[in-house]
Parts: sequence; structure tokens; C-alpha cells
Amino acid sequence: MFRLTPVRSGALGLLAALGLYAAFSAEYFGLEILTEIAILSMLVIALDMVAGFGGMVSLCHGALLGIGAYAYAGLTTMTGADPFLALLGAVVLTGIAGFLVGAVCAGSQGIYFIMVTLAFGQMAYAFFFESAAFGGDDGIAGVPRLDLSGLGVDLGDSRSFVLFCMILLALVTLFAAHILRSGLGRTLVGLKTNEQRMRALGVRSWRAKAYTFGISGMIAGLAGVLAAQHTMYISPGLLNWTVSGEALVVVILGGLGTLVGPLVGATAFVLIKHEVSALTPYWHLVTGVILIAVVMSGANGIFGFFEAQLERLRNRSKPAVEGKLKQGSVHDA
Amino acid sequence: MDIGFWVFQTLNALQLSMLLFLLSVGLTVIFGLMHFVNLAHGALYAFGAYVAATVAGGLGYWPGFLLAPVLVAAIGLLLYAGLIRRMRKSGPMAQVLVTFGLIFALLDLTRIIWGDLAFGMELPAVLSGRVTIGSVEYPTYRLFIIALGAGVFGALALILGRTQIGAMIRAGVDNDAMASCLGINVERLFFVVFCIGCALAGLAGAIAAPILSVTPDMGLQILIPTLIVVVIGGLGSLKGAITGSLIYGFVQTFGAVLVPNLASVLIYALLAVVLVMRPAGLFPAKG
Repeated sequence: MFRLTPVRSGALGLLAALGLYAAFSAEYFGLEILTEIAILSMLVIALDMVAGFGGMVSLCHGALLGIGAYAYAGLTTMTGADPFLALLGAVVLTGIAGFLVGAVCAGSQGIYFIMVTLAFGQMAYAFFFESAAFGGDDGIAGVPRLDLSGLGVDLGDSRSFVLFCMILLALVTLFAAHILRSGLGRTLVGLKTNEQRMRALGVRSWRAKAYTFGISGMIAGLAGVLAAQHTMYISPGLLNWTVSGEALVVVILGGLGTLVGPLVGATAFVLIKHEVSALTPYWHLVTGVILIAVVMSGANGIFGFFEAQLERLRNRSKPAVEGKLKQGSVHDA
Repeated sequence: MDIGFWVFQTLNALQLSMLLFLLSVGLTVIFGLMHFVNLAHGALYAFGAYVAATVAGGLGYWPGFLLAPVLVAAIGLLLYAGLIRRMRKSGPMAQVLVTFGLIFALLDLTRIIWGDLAFGMELPAVLSGRVTIGSVEYPTYRLFIIALGAGVFGALALILGRTQIGAMIRAGVDNDAMASCLGINVERLFFVVFCIGCALAGLAGAIAAPILSVTPDMGLQILIPTLIVVVIGGLGSLKGAITGSLIYGFVQTFGAVLVPNLASVLIYALLAVVLVMRPAGLFPAKG
């Protein structure tokens, strides 16, 4: 179960404050980076829900993001649907796709789960890549942003768009935390810890997994809609498995199963990418080495590391608690 | 569509299958024996292709062909000593991530050493011609790939099925704890198998270099087909690797000429069906 500890709410508050400060002070290029961080954050929150809390390591979240983006772009540019309705439609559609993937994959474990989700993701990628109706490998251009002129907001402006993304990200974070604290979230963590016992208690495991995957898919779909609105152009590259792989890297860098960690990870990843790629074209090498170091160190990502250090400091003044459960390490998954 | 068409496409399918077989057999046995997910296997294949192309540029085709597996096995040895031995006890997710990091790192290393430009590789005179089979003219080199793949399959089948070391490997895949109780040094066996798997990846790179252009991301492109082969075939078995390779080769080749719009979706759909019906693949090593 997700616990909103003081450390976590503090970190969330700090991130929100930093984000707001950056959104009001940054120039054009900074705003682009900030938008990228916000969209990636949304995707990794979706991934952390299933991977960190449900133990379902998915390599199809890039594809879910892409389905959301394509649904939004298709509905607005081809049928001329209202962007609001298109947004809702895209989110619902991605939710259904996520539910189906979750339902089919619920019986698979470990490496097989990774492989089946990879297969579904690549299937969607291949579909959009080959599909003439969706522009094939050229993608779709001219995707409109939402029209909020009724509220006096022009989303064509980068600053307004960043703020819009950040507000949605905040809502999504709270929503994900709420789901994880609900009965569904508790069931999910129970299934991750001991599926056999949960089944003995009468839980239908596939249902909890499929619902969570569906909700996670909705969040990934919303991230896709925002990604499509951000660049106003989409291509099948969004669905490629390397996008899912990178999202997984971000979750691990930040801290699996902490919900706050992935936000830290997304910020760190995008900043590393831009800072390092300004210095050298070989930023993948740097990311790869950092990733290997983080996984092999045994710490649960950047945020997990600090959380553990703070916990140790706090416990030093109190007598040690024996037999405490260690939660959410990469190595249990 | 005359008979020539079918012969030609069948040969194409066989050639793709054999290339994938050389890659997937190493991956699947490492997978089955060590329970280790090595996503960096494709990067080793790319390394093999670069080594072969570079050596071939200076010394001719055959030195490149022979040196590539040796050097890639040496890299495999370094990876084993540095990373993989320490990751043996971790869960699949940590292994996926570490080897994913390795893909990133190796990809950029090849770019640093060899640059971004595609390399080509010259064929020796013996293999550069064409052979007439019935009504079809087929490149000799592609027939050489088919023969080589079939030869490697035969040799591995013989070693795994008929020799003592083969019996030890099969015992280790089946039950490693029991095998080591019976006095087999399973860890050393793992090490040998890992190096052979890497050498085969290097060999696959060397034979792919003349027909595909050698680029830094060639390892990433071949990784997904290889994983599909391994997962369809079932982990750890030679039979699975060859069956999976043949299925992939034929579905991909004939799909591309008969239903071009659906070809790439077809193979993923097949994988999904296999995994849902038989989660452990068609011929898993463990019953």
C-alpha cells in the first residue's frame, strides 16, 4: 500500500514549488524541457502503479502512450471531433486497451510478463507503422491543442501549456495515490507479496490486475494526449519499445514503488539527457553507466536512497524495530 | 506465382531463420541454464559485425570471420567477470535493467570506436557468385549462411545429446542444485556456456555483416526478433531455438510477400497467441 509519509509529502511539495518557480522564470527552451518532464512524469506514474505496486513490469507503456496520442490525433484531425471529447475518448480507449492487456497477461509471471507486454506493445507499434490510414511512418501532423479561451487561457503559449500539464500531473498524482490507498491498491500489493494467499482469501487476481492496468493505461493515454498536443505532431516512434524501456529506467532511477521517486527520476533523466547531450553526443553511455550503478548498488533509486537514509537518522534516536518489512526493492520484483 | 517463387522465398526464409538461430541458441541456453536475461546479446552481435568488417578491411574475409567470434567471446568473458556473476542471484527485473543499461553503454561505445557511418564488408571470391537451383539463381553467400546454420545446429545437437559435457549441461538446465550435488561444477559450466553463446553471437554478426549494413543500432534491431524466437521456442532448449527460428523466418518472409500490410503485426500476434496458450513456449527445457 502507498503511504504518504511526511518525507514523501515534503518531497512532493518541494517538487511542486520547484516546478512552479521554473514555470514562471524559465525562458522558451526551459519551458520545453519542463513540459517534457511533466509528460514523462505522468507516464512513469502510470508505470510505477503497475510495476512498483503490482509487480507487473510492463514494456508496453510506451505503446499505451502512443495509442492515446494516436486516438487524440486521429479523432481531432480526421473526424474533426471537439478536442475535449477527443481527449476523453483517447483516455477511455487507452484505458480499455490497458484493461485488455492486463486481463490477458494476468496469468504470466516474471520474465514472461515482460515478454508478453513487449509483444503487445510492438504489435501496436507495427500496426501504426504499417497503417496507411494513420499516416504510416510519417505520422500525423497538425494536431490541435485544447481550446481554453473560454477561461481566458491561450494554450498556444508555452507557459500556459506547461502550467496546464503541471496541473493535470498534480491531479493524476493525487488520483494514483488515492487508487493505491483504496481497496484495489491494497489488493494489488497483496497479490504482489503473496498471490496464492490472496487467492485463498477469495480475491480474483486477474480482476485486480486488469483494473489497475486499465487505470494505469488511462494515465498513460492522458500523457500521450499531452505529448501529441505538445509537439502537435506524432509518429509511430512514440510506441516503440525503447520508449517503454526508458520509462522503466526512469522509474528505477527515481525509486520503484514510491510514486514520488518516479517524479524525481523523470526530472533527473530529462535534465541529464539535455545537460549531457549538450556536452557530448554520447549521453546514452552516461545514462547506461548510471543505470547499471544504481541497480547494482541495491538502493531503491535516488528517492529510495534518501528515504532510507532519513529513516536511519530517525531510528538512531529510537530503539531499533526488529523484523521490519523492507518494501519495494528492485531485487524482489 | 510459379515454383521458382516458392523455392526462392523458402531459401530466403531459411537464411533468415539460420541467422536468428545462431543468435537465439546462445541466448536461450544462457537463459535456461543461468536463468539470466541478457538483453545485451544483440549488442554483442553488433560488436561481432564491426570486428569482422574492420578485420576484413585489412586482412580479407576469412580472418575477420574467424576473429569475430573469438573477440566477442573475450568481451563476454569481461562482462561475465565484471557484471553478470554478481547479478546471478537478482530477480529478472534487475537483470533486464542492468543489461538494458549495457545496451545503452555498448551502443555508444561502438559509436565512439567506429563512428556513425555504416560499414560494408567484401565477400571472398568463392562466395560472391550465384548458384542455379532448378529455375532459380540464388546468391552463394546466402546458401553458405544456411549451410553454416545447419552445421552449427548439427554440431550442437551432437554435443548436447551425445557427449558428457552435453549431458552435464542438460542436467544443469533441468535442476542445477541436484547437478551440483552430483559433483558437476555448475558455475564453471555456466561460464563455458556463456562464452560459447557470446562466440555464436559474434559469428552471427560476422556472417550478417556482408548482407546487412553494419550500423551501431543493428544490435537493437535484431534483439526483438531474437527474443521472440526464444520465447516462442521455449527457454533453454535447442529444439525450441531451431523451431522458433524457423517459425519466425517463414512467417516473416512469406508474410512480407503474401500479406505485406499485416506482416509485422502477424509475428507479434503469433507470439501473443503462443504465450497465452502455452506460457512457457513450445518446447521448454523443463517439462
